[in-house]
Amino acid sequence: MKKLIVAVLAGLVLLSAVLFFPPSVAAEEVGGCFQEHVTCREHALNLDAPWYQVTLFLTLCDLALAKCILHLSI
Amino acid sequence: MKRTKTMFAVPALVCVLTSWAAVSPGGARLDGPVPGFKAVERTAAGERPDDAVLARPVALAFDGKEILVADAQECAIKVFAEDGSFLRSIGRKGAGPGEFSFPSGVCVSGGRIFVADKFNFRVQILDREGKPEGGFRLDFPPDKIYALGEGTILVTSNPSGRPIRENMLRLFDPSGALLWEGLASRSFGDPVYDTFRNMFLVCPDGSDGFFIVYRSEERAVLRFGPKGDALGGVPVDERYAFKPVRLPFKGPTKVLLGFCWASAFDRGRLYLLEPEAVDGRDLGPGRRVSVFGRDGRMQAVIDLPRRIHRFTVDGDRIYALDEEGELGVFEVAR
Repeated sequence: MKKLIVAVLAGLVLLSAVLFFPPSVAAEEVGGCFQEHVTCREHALNLDAPWYQVTLFLTLCDLALAKCILHLSI
Repeated sequence: MKRTKTMFAVPALVCVLTSWAAVSPGGARLDGPVPGFKAVERTAAGERPDDAVLARPVALAFDGKEILVADAQECAIKVFAEDGSFLRSIGRKGAGPGEFSFPSGVCVSGGRIFVADKFNFRVQILDREGKPEGGFRLDFPPDKIYALGEGTILVTSNPSGRPIRENMLRLFDPSGALLWEGLASRSFGDPVYDTFRNMFLVCPDGSDGFFIVYRSEERAVLRFGPKGDALGGVPVDERYAFKPVRLPFKGPTKVLLGFCWASAFDRGRLYLLEPEAVDGRDLGPGRRVSVFGRDGRMQAVIDLPRRIHRFTVDGDRIYALDEEGELGVFEVAR
């Protein structure tokens, strides 16, 4: 019985913490990284350039996304 | 005697093999060379005002009277007469009514201009002079836009690059109510390769439906009805060849089979612009347009005087954006 009460209380504490704290700033910034990634890809796809160039441009977009996310998490 | 037999046997074998090779794996008989035509320049000459300069043209439409070009960099729709002479510019950069942020598609429906206003995440509707007449918001950046029959608007989108299935086609009514969505993106485990495999072109078929042409690897053109109902694929004549290109995808370099750079549909005929080799290793816009019937059979080829990126067809006329970003008007010489 004691174990059950402890488990329920622990669950309530965790739930309160999740509901009380606003979404972290980092998560919003990661969302910004993905938004920039979409913008970068849209520019690449509308280049109408030869495909090798588009491939390189898309790869740069992916690298920029990785850099953006890593920069935030360090 | 033996020599005489060989003399007859070898040409006979060549004839049999040639006729056998002329039958495609799908069973469609190939009938040798197709008639070739040349298109000649008909663009009006003369000085152009500054407004007429196209900085980054990404789409064009012809409504029977005027040519409309979406200039993504200038954030404007540039309007030209049938002979290519400049008439007016519509819109400017911004997020308000009549303003655009990277207009990437344009079409005309019911006498009104519809613009895919990409980074404002909306479709804007304007009258012929550019006066805003409403529009609707979207939860994705629209790419190209096409008018189908009965006021239906077809809007395309590019996949986000994440390994999930995302619909790339949506049908709306002019008030923005979603009527249908489909054509899910495909994932092959490499984001960049996936992007190429998901590149496609749309051609309204003149009877409220539309065709989808994948730009690489797929020989069949997909047919859709006015409500987005899939009507099957039309295999394209094998005389129209793939153009391979080696690209540095994830892992070992892969060969991508380029199929079509741009497409158009006019009066029962499908026009596919062949990609062309660029600098030996790359694949870019071409200058040869192949013409197909609704059954996928190749009817003719048209050679243009220069490479083009985007085009639309009206009878013997081809309105195109060339590789320098200029508008060209061409006429097929008979």
